[in-house]
Parts: sequence; structure tokens; C-alpha cells
Amino acid sequence: MKVALSGQAARLPASAGAAGGLVARFVRKSGTPLLVLYALALGAVLGLASADWATRGGYPFGGVHIGPWMAWPRAGATGADPYTRAVNARRGEVPLAVGEGLLLTAAEDDEGRALDASCTYAIGGVVPPARAWTLTVAGRGARDPDRPHIRDGFTSTEILRRQDGRFVITLSPEAEPGNWLPSPRATGPMRLALRLYDTPAAAGVGSLDRSVVPSITRKGCAP
Amino acid sequence: MRLRLAYATLAGLVLAGIVHIAAVLAIPRLAETDAVTRARTSESLDHPQVIYALSTGETPAPQEVWLPIPDPAVAVGVCAFDLTDGPMRVSARTGPLALSLAAHGRQGAFYAVTDQAAVRGALDLVILTRAQYDQALADDDENEPSRDVRIVAPEGRGFVVVRVIAGLPSQREAANAAVHAVNCTTDAAADDSAKR
Repeated sequence: MKVALSGQAARLPASAGAAGGLVARFVRKSGTPLLVLYALALGAVLGLASADWATRGGYPFGGVHIGPWMAWPRAGATGADPYTRAVNARRGEVPLAVGEGLLLTAAEDDEGRALDASCTYAIGGVVPPARAWTLTVAGRGARDPDRPHIRDGFTSTEILRRQDGRFVITLSPEAEPGNWLPSPRATGPMRLALRLYDTPAAAGVGSLDRSVVPSITRKGCAP
Repeated sequence: MRLRLAYATLAGLVLAGIVHIAAVLAIPRLAETDAVTRARTSESLDHPQVIYALSTGETPAPQEVWLPIPDPAVAVGVCAFDLTDGPMRVSARTGPLALSLAAHGRQGAFYAVTDQAAVRGALDLVILTRAQYDQALADDDENEPSRDVRIVAPEGRGFVVVRVIAGLPSQREAANAAVHAVNCTTDAAADDSAKR
């Protein structure tokens, strides 16, 4: 860390060339107060900018990968890390508490490719034990007003199952038989959210692995 | 000169680290859009303020929700509490729909209970401070044990979230009504409850 810092500092005046020479002369003339001011400004700008960057968007730490899914089991707990608390506060989020449920999100399919709204996906298999669950899809930004709003997701009650209790949800821009979940937008990234309510899995995400969460398989993409 | 500039840069970076940590720790305290601050408008109500009502029939879901990504099948309401006014009592009647109550403070959720913990169809969650808890224990009638679920809150302010799951679209109206039917009241001073 220190090596990198001094290296950066040494490179700074050298690379800046003539402008650097001007600055150096100016600094020499005005002396220590300017250096102090420079240090304070650097600290304030870098500190605030990095804090803003780290708490914008998703949770930076504490995520657990379960196949294509991602869980933040501590997001709604008292022991959440300061970054998670700051993210929740900035978004106005009310996370699911540990005794209440667990949220799993997926932005990629089983093979690690980002979910795209123009593709067709089969989401299926099994869901960890829970009293109820919902699987929803969301695109980035507001809903496309031109596309008919049929449904955002399925709940465990309304899903059509096969005889062995397994199910397949087809996430596609075009209508499909069975459990069809329309893509929220014509193109662009999508995100799936699986919410397990009243589940024993919330107490220990370690009990979850790829075999107990739904798989997300890409079937093909519109040209 | 270069050495002094390097020292100043190093000092600036160390300062940046301190500012970063202080800012991250201060955000939950200073935020004006966080759930605790927003829920405060519900403090004067005796039922939860519905923050996400489900769309029923032709009525679309409200647009001005502040939950970032709400579940379209779960109705959500909040009851804010301020324990300096007295313990907070949240009473729910269980129905056909799954219901859960979770108590949140600024530090995060400190307790959650679902309707499966209900005794004879009633779920009474009482949130109190340590002193109020001791008082409630002292006031307990030995022959008539209380059925309240008593939880000591780590801080004085917070909110209780009520979630009701509508498994089918036809249950959405009932889910909205179930959130509204929960009672959030501030228990009067402890000696009042002893008389009851």
C-alpha cells in the first residue's frame, strides 16, 4: 500500500511535465499552508466519493453464492455490517428479517451469462423448504408501458407443477404454454428474485447448495 | 519539495480513509430516506400504515411506494414506535393468509415472528425497553400468565413491519385488509395494565 502511494506521488510531478513544474513553483512559494489544504481537500473528496461509491447500489459484502443465486443472509439482521446498514438506509430498504424469510437474487444463468430480456430461460426444479415462496422478475428502470402487464412473478400457490412436484417456469418475451413469465422489457438486463418466506434456510445458508435451488437454463435468444 | 508533496498526499489518503469510515457509519444516522425516518409518519396511527398495497382487479399497485423492489404478492405495512411514550403493542388475528411481524431498529431487524406462533388465533407482540420489561414482569399476575410475546428493543425508536402473503391474485384484497386489521397501540403506563 505504502509503496504504491509513494510511487504514485513520485510519478505525479514527473508526468505532469511543464504544468507540474508550475505547480511545484507555486507550492514552493506559498509553502506549508497550501500543502495542508491540499491534504485536507484530498482526504475529504476521496473519502466522501469512496463512501458514496461503496454504499450505492447493492450490498458490497456478505453475499453467498448458491449456484446462480446470491443471498445476503445477514442483510436483515442486527449484526449486519456497516456498509449493509448504510445501503439499506440510503435505499429505504426493509430487508427480510432472519425469522421472516430469505431473499435470493440472480442476475446470471447457470453458465454465468447475464440474464437478457430477449432470451428464453427455463427456471425449474426445486425450491428450498419454505412455507411460501415467490419468484419475480424485474428489468432495470421503469416498466415498459407498451408491453402488456400480465404478471411479475409466480407464488408457490399458483404455480403449475408436474406429478413429481417439480415445476418449470418459462421466462420468455413470447407467450409459452405452462408457467409463462413474460420478460419485463424487450431487451436489456433482467434480475430474478426468489423470496422464501418462513424458511428454515434463513438460519443457515450453509445448508443450501446448487441442488436445492431452482436452475436457470438458457434455451435460446431472439436474433 | 517532492518529499513534502508525497507526505501531504499520504496524509490526504489517510484522511480519506478516516472520512470514508466516518461517512459510512454516519449514513444510517443522517439518512432522511431510510425506513425508520419514513415510517415515523405512521406513529400517530393505531393500525399499520400500508406502504405496499397489492393491486386488486383494475386498481394498480400504488406508484409512490418507497420500497425499492417490493414483492408483488406481499402486502406490507409499518407501525413506527417510540418507546419513550410507553411499550408498543402489535396485535394481529391470524387468518387464512400467512402473516409475519418483524421489529426493526436503526441497527437492523432485531426480532421476527410469524402467525404460526399465535396462541388461539391471536398474536400479541409487545416491544419494550429493559425497564418497561422489568416492570411488566413485576406486574404479571401469577394466576393469569400473559400470552404476550415480549421483546426488549435495543433502541428506543424503530418500526414493526407487517407482511401478509397473498398466494393467489384473488387473495390480494384480503391481504390488504389483513394488514389494515392489525392493531398497533402504545400501552398506557404500566400501572394501568396492572388494573386490567
